[in-house]
Amino acid sequence: MLRNVRIWFEKKGSAKYISHLDLTRCMSRALRASALPVWYTEGFNPRVYMTFGMPLSLGITGKRECMDIRLTEDMPLEKIQERLNLRLPLDLRVLEAAEPLAKLETIRWADYSYRMETTDSTLLEKAFEKLFSLEAVTVLKHTKKGEKEFDIKPYFQKMIFDARESSFLTAQVLLPCSVEGSINPALLLDALQKYSGEEPYTEICRNRLLTKDFLELR
Amino acid sequence: MNSILKDPQETDVRFAFCFPDIYEIGMSHLGLKILYGAINQVPYFWCERVFAPWIDMEACLLEQHIPLYALESGDAVKKFDFVGFTLQYELSYTNVLNMLKLAEIPLRSTERGEEFPLVVGGGPCACNPEPLADFFDLFMLGDGEEVILELLELYRDCKANRLHKKGFLQKASQIKGVYVPSLYQVAYREDGTILSYTPQDGAPAKIEKRVVQNMDSAYYPDSMVVPIIDIVHNRISEEVLRGCIRGCRFCQAGFLYRPFREKGIPTIDQQCRALCESTGYDEISLSSLSTSDYSKLNELIDTMHDWTEKDKVSISLPSLRVDGFSPELMQRINSVRKSGLTFAPEAGSQRLRDVINKNVTEEELLHTVKVAFHEGWNKIKLYFMIGLPTETLEDVLAILRLGKNVVDAFYEDRERPKGKGVEVTLSAAAFVPKPFTPFQWFGQDSMEEMQKKQYTLKDHIPTKRLTVNYHDAKTSYLEAVFARGDRKLGAVLELACKRGLRFDSWDDCFDFSTWMTLFSELNIDPDFYAVRQREFSEVFPWDHLDYGISKEFLIKECERAYAAKTTPNCREKCAGCGASCYGGGLCVEKRANLV
Repeated sequence: MLRNVRIWFEKKGSAKYISHLDLTRCMSRALRASALPVWYTEGFNPRVYMTFGMPLSLGITGKRECMDIRLTEDMPLEKIQERLNLRLPLDLRVLEAAEPLAKLETIRWADYSYRMETTDSTLLEKAFEKLFSLEAVTVLKHTKKGEKEFDIKPYFQKMIFDARESSFLTAQVLLPCSVEGSINPALLLDALQKYSGEEPYTEICRNRLLTKDFLELR
Repeated sequence: MNSILKDPQETDVRFAFCFPDIYEIGMSHLGLKILYGAINQVPYFWCERVFAPWIDMEACLLEQHIPLYALESGDAVKKFDFVGFTLQYELSYTNVLNMLKLAEIPLRSTERGEEFPLVVGGGPCACNPEPLADFFDLFMLGDGEEVILELLELYRDCKANRLHKKGFLQKASQIKGVYVPSLYQVAYREDGTILSYTPQDGAPAKIEKRVVQNMDSAYYPDSMVVPIIDIVHNRISEEVLRGCIRGCRFCQAGFLYRPFREKGIPTIDQQCRALCESTGYDEISLSSLSTSDYSKLNELIDTMHDWTEKDKVSISLPSLRVDGFSPELMQRINSVRKSGLTFAPEAGSQRLRDVINKNVTEEELLHTVKVAFHEGWNKIKLYFMIGLPTETLEDVLAILRLGKNVVDAFYEDRERPKGKGVEVTLSAAAFVPKPFTPFQWFGQDSMEEMQKKQYTLKDHIPTKRLTVNYHDAKTSYLEAVFARGDRKLGAVLELACKRGLRFDSWDDCFDFSTWMTLFSELNIDPDFYAVRQREFSEVFPWDHLDYGISKEFLIKECERAYAAKTTPNCREKCAGCGASCYGGGLCVEKRANLV
């Protein structure tokens, strides 16, 4: 018997500084220590089978991240959450273990939010307006083949500013997020710094993973 | 994960365990995990971890005026009762002082009033802690897991009775294994060597190291802090034995940790199970100074296989001896990746291997590598030392010949894996004479001699299949200065800290020319410590510390070394080093056999 289970978890606080590779090791140890009946890969070097949604960039909080595992024995799904949380650091929390409804490969988009600290949010919003009035907004993008100039304007044009207090500004944006290519939300801050010199302290958060129809992945 | 948080209101004694290097290295250290567990199992003690911040973090701390803090509570180190350093290598001494500086704690013990923590130390370098004597309130010699608890209990009493530091230190000096340097007056001869150490206030004339007699009943943690980021040794370390039977004459650990004591198979098995359950690790390293000397290694691994195979836990063995490697053993351990094997013949010629008492022959080495090649390995790393006593250029060239013979052994095997070449790496470290070894009298080769030997190696590489690496002779020289240093070096360390020197074991930070400037400014000749050949009659700065190894034995071993005579290992024949005075381990087991 093999049963696919999708683990939904939160990666917050200091855990946002854990790299994807360290996250996989951490999850693997937690799964082993919790003595859940997990399925191991059958290669020469057996490992706990885990497949993650889309890796989260370092420094970004994940509100609802996911990974798939396989169980070799059936068990109540609430137990998984309970047992894993005992074995995970406090800033990594399992929210839910559930039946996967769509494949991880159907992820196309991610919903990000920004919270930027500033002394004057009106000025900061103006800086963004000016930024997007430009013909093209190019930043250096790190790729496997080296660095290249990249125009981010098409991706960020539809960004919505949703809360303005005197001391901070928040914004929401949907960005491509799939195996075919993703846009790192931090590129926006690179552009802001490059064109206006502003460097507000910013918390970026990935809220949800979406499929091609902009529906939340389940 | 698994770090221990307590309520400071409910703890009586707070101990900051400081590892004077970065987190990734310090968290790989087994001693930290043992002592962290041992202290924290007492409800009213709280031990936290502190590491040396790397230079970028250090700059942030300084810029933001944040004093060095402990990881668990985030509280400033200066608020603790104890600041404890583990002294693993001499080149970390500047990190010790730098950490005190970052913690805003005065360096010299005389400058620290009652409001500051007690600064204590332990670990292998505590066998000659004299260069650090001005900065520490006390040192613990030998095995730490018992003495540290006795010390903290005493402190708890003294704190409750509002006894001042001096009173506490006097009482502490009565605990076996505790050395309070301020209670000893040092007199020097005109030539700069030691005349005498005079104890005061009832402190003992000889400070005996502590020995944990029974490894089965000794404390061992059933849980360990598991780092979330990757570290150097990211796995479970299970100590299977303490001490070493071999008596290699260059090896300080081989003498300091005597007598040889093994844990029983049930103890090891049970401890490993508990650790796997609490950490989720999938790899266990059976560690010790020489794990292939564990008397029932095959039986141990077979016992553990009962559950490790099912739970998909792999067992690894560090530090294999050339003569401890067998196909049977290799088949027992899940060494999945046949990438590389490392052996340490230490010297190139048989004569020199006899001098250092590394009882391994070229024949054994070649036999072992042939087995390894046959089993599919094609990368061999061989560790050597240069600058050993009596070494000639001929001995240095013998390192290359040995390497060449290993390469040839690969091509002699007709059934070798097709399409694979062989890679043999020869790594040559510069020998540093250490206290409590038969070479403690030996004057280290000068840096020029050392470099000449290194160039000889580099210039005569016989085949492209051989790669030769060597370490910078300068760091080994500095290590030699502090290894056999005395209290006069405290001033050098203090000034080094002031000038911003730290992380001397890191190439990015090591600044030899500044070190040399410091020595000359303070009118201290580093050659006096590193390259001076000593007489047997000389009084050493560590002679008042008793590690159970008699000086007569070391002299005898030194003489045998120069005569290229080997000494059998402890299992074959007791060499009479003196460690049997502890009445434990192999020393006693052997006697039992004789009766």
